[in-house]
Amino acid sequence: MKAIVKIKNLEKYFGRLHVLKNINLEVDAKEVVCIIGRSGSGKSTLLRCINFLEEPSDGEIEVDGLCIPCSLKGKERRQRVFEIRLSSGMVFQEFNLFPHMTVLENVMEGPLTVKKMDKASAVKIAEMNLERVGMIIKKDEYPNRISGGQKQRVAIARALAMEPKVMLFDEPTSALDPELIGEVLTVMKSLAREGTTMLVVTHEMEFACEVANRVIVIHDGELVEQAAPADLINHPQNVHTQALLERYRAGKSPQVEA
Amino acid sequence: MSAFKAPASGKQKKNQADLIYEAQVHAKRRFNTQVALSWVAFLAFITFLFSGVTLTIGGNTFSTIKLDGEFIRSNLKFIAGGAGQTILISALSICLATILALLAALGRLSKFPPIYALSTFYVSLIRGTPLYLQIFFFYLALPQLGIILSGLWAGVLALGLNYGAYMSEIFRAGLSSVGKGQREAALAIGMTPGQTMSRIVIPQALRFAIPPTGNEFIAMLKDSALVSATGFVHELMWRATKVGRAQFNNLEALIIAAVFYWIMTLVFTSLQSRLESYMSRGER
Repeated sequence: MKAIVKIKNLEKYFGRLHVLKNINLEVDAKEVVCIIGRSGSGKSTLLRCINFLEEPSDGEIEVDGLCIPCSLKGKERRQRVFEIRLSSGMVFQEFNLFPHMTVLENVMEGPLTVKKMDKASAVKIAEMNLERVGMIIKKDEYPNRISGGQKQRVAIARALAMEPKVMLFDEPTSALDPELIGEVLTVMKSLAREGTTMLVVTHEMEFACEVANRVIVIHDGELVEQAAPADLINHPQNVHTQALLERYRAGKSPQVEA
Repeated sequence: MSAFKAPASGKQKKNQADLIYEAQVHAKRRFNTQVALSWVAFLAFITFLFSGVTLTIGGNTFSTIKLDGEFIRSNLKFIAGGAGQTILISALSICLATILALLAALGRLSKFPPIYALSTFYVSLIRGTPLYLQIFFFYLALPQLGIILSGLWAGVLALGLNYGAYMSEIFRAGLSSVGKGQREAALAIGMTPGQTMSRIVIPQALRFAIPPTGNEFIAMLKDSALVSATGFVHELMWRATKVGRAQFNNLEALIIAAVFYWIMTLVFTSLQSRLESYMSRGER
C-alpha cells in the first residue's frame, strides 16, 4: 500500500529541550493511526511537524509524495509547505473556528480563499461537508452560539472541505465536556469507515481500540512501541507502554466514552 | 371574573427572590431619576448664573452675569456654521489616524527590524512632541521647505499623525487579542500569512478596536479646536475667537462655541455607546 505520510529521522528541539528524538513513521492510505502518550511526551508536536505548524529541527517529512527535507530552504520550501498543508487537514483541541464568520462561512473559507473557487461551488462543498458531520442545520449560526461538540464537528467539516489526503487530529475531544465527546467520536468513526487516512493524537483508548489500525506510543520524545490496538493492550512490550496503560485503566486520563 | 382573579392571587404569593429583585430594580430607577433631576438643576443653575437678572433678598441686591443678547442673536449663526468644519476635520483626521494606527500596530508585530523600528520611532516621535507644535510644524515650518499646505490639510495631517500614534496601541491590543490558534487554523487550511492577516486576524482586531476608535473621534472633535491656531480654518473655535475678539464679546462667543462642542460630544457619545452595545452583541 502507498504511504501517505512518511517521517524520517525527525528531530525537534525547543531551545535546549529535545522534544522529538529520531522519529520514523509511515502512515498508509486509508490507515487510522492513533498516537498515545503522557502529556508533554511530544505527541502533539509530532503531529504539528507534519503540516509545519512546528518547524522540524532535523529529518524529513513527506506527505502524499511531496518531500521536505530540513536542508530545503527558500521559495521552493515555502511552496512545498503550502502544498503539504493543502493535502493535510488539521483539527485542533481548541477548535479554533473563526468567530467572525458563520458556520457555513468557516467551512467555505478554505475553498474560497485558498483554492480560489467561485462562491457557488464553495457553498456547495461547504454544505456537503456540513451534512457529513451533521451540522447543516446550524449553518447560519455563529460559532459562539453552538456547543463545544458542535464546534469541533464544524472544525472537522472545515478541514474536510479542502479534500485533504490525510486528516490530523490533535486531541480533538480533550477540551470537551464528557457528554459532548461522543458526537465528535461518532463523526470520526464514520470518517474512518469511509476510508479517510487519519492520524489521531488522543487519550480515548476505546476509540483507539475500535477504530485504529495501529497505535503508536510516544514517551519522552521517542517512539517506544507500535502495534495493532489489541496486541498493544494485551501484550505491551515496552515498560513505558505498560505504565501508560496502567494509568488509563486507573482512569487518571480523561474519561473514555461509555 | 375568576380568570382575572387567578393572576391577582398569584401576585400575592410572590417569592422572596422576586421581591428582592424588584426592590433592586426600583432602587436603581430611583437613583437614575434623581441623577437626571440633579443634572437639570445644575443646568438651570448655570443658566440662572448667566441670566442677567437682579434680585433683592433682604435688602441686599445681587445681580447675575449679564450676557450681550444682541451679540448672541447676531453671531450665533456665524459661529454655529463652524460645526460642519469641525466635524469634517475630525472625520478626515480619524480616517488618516485609523490607517496609520493599523500600519503602526502591524509594524510592531513585524519580525523585520527596520519595520519594527520605523513603527516604534514614529510612535515615540509623535508622542514625544506637543500636538500644538505638530500643527504649527505642518502649517508654518513646511513652507520653508517649499511644501505649502492649507490650514485644513495641515491640521488633518497633524491630527491624523498624532492620533494615529496614540491609537496604534488600541490596534496593537486588538491584534494581540486574536489568539495564536486562529492563525494556526488559517495556516493549516493553506492560507498564506498575508491572507491570514487580512481575512482572519485584522477583521477580528477591528471589531475589538472600533468602539475605542469612537472614543478617540470624540476626543478629536475637541482637539480640532487647536487647528484654529493656523488662522485659516473656519471651524467653531476660529469663528468664536474671531467675532469675540473683534467686538470684545469673548465671553458670549466662547460660551456659544462651548455649547456647540458639548452638544456634539453628547450626540456622538450616545451614538458611540449604541455602537458599542451593538458590537459586543455577538460576544454574549
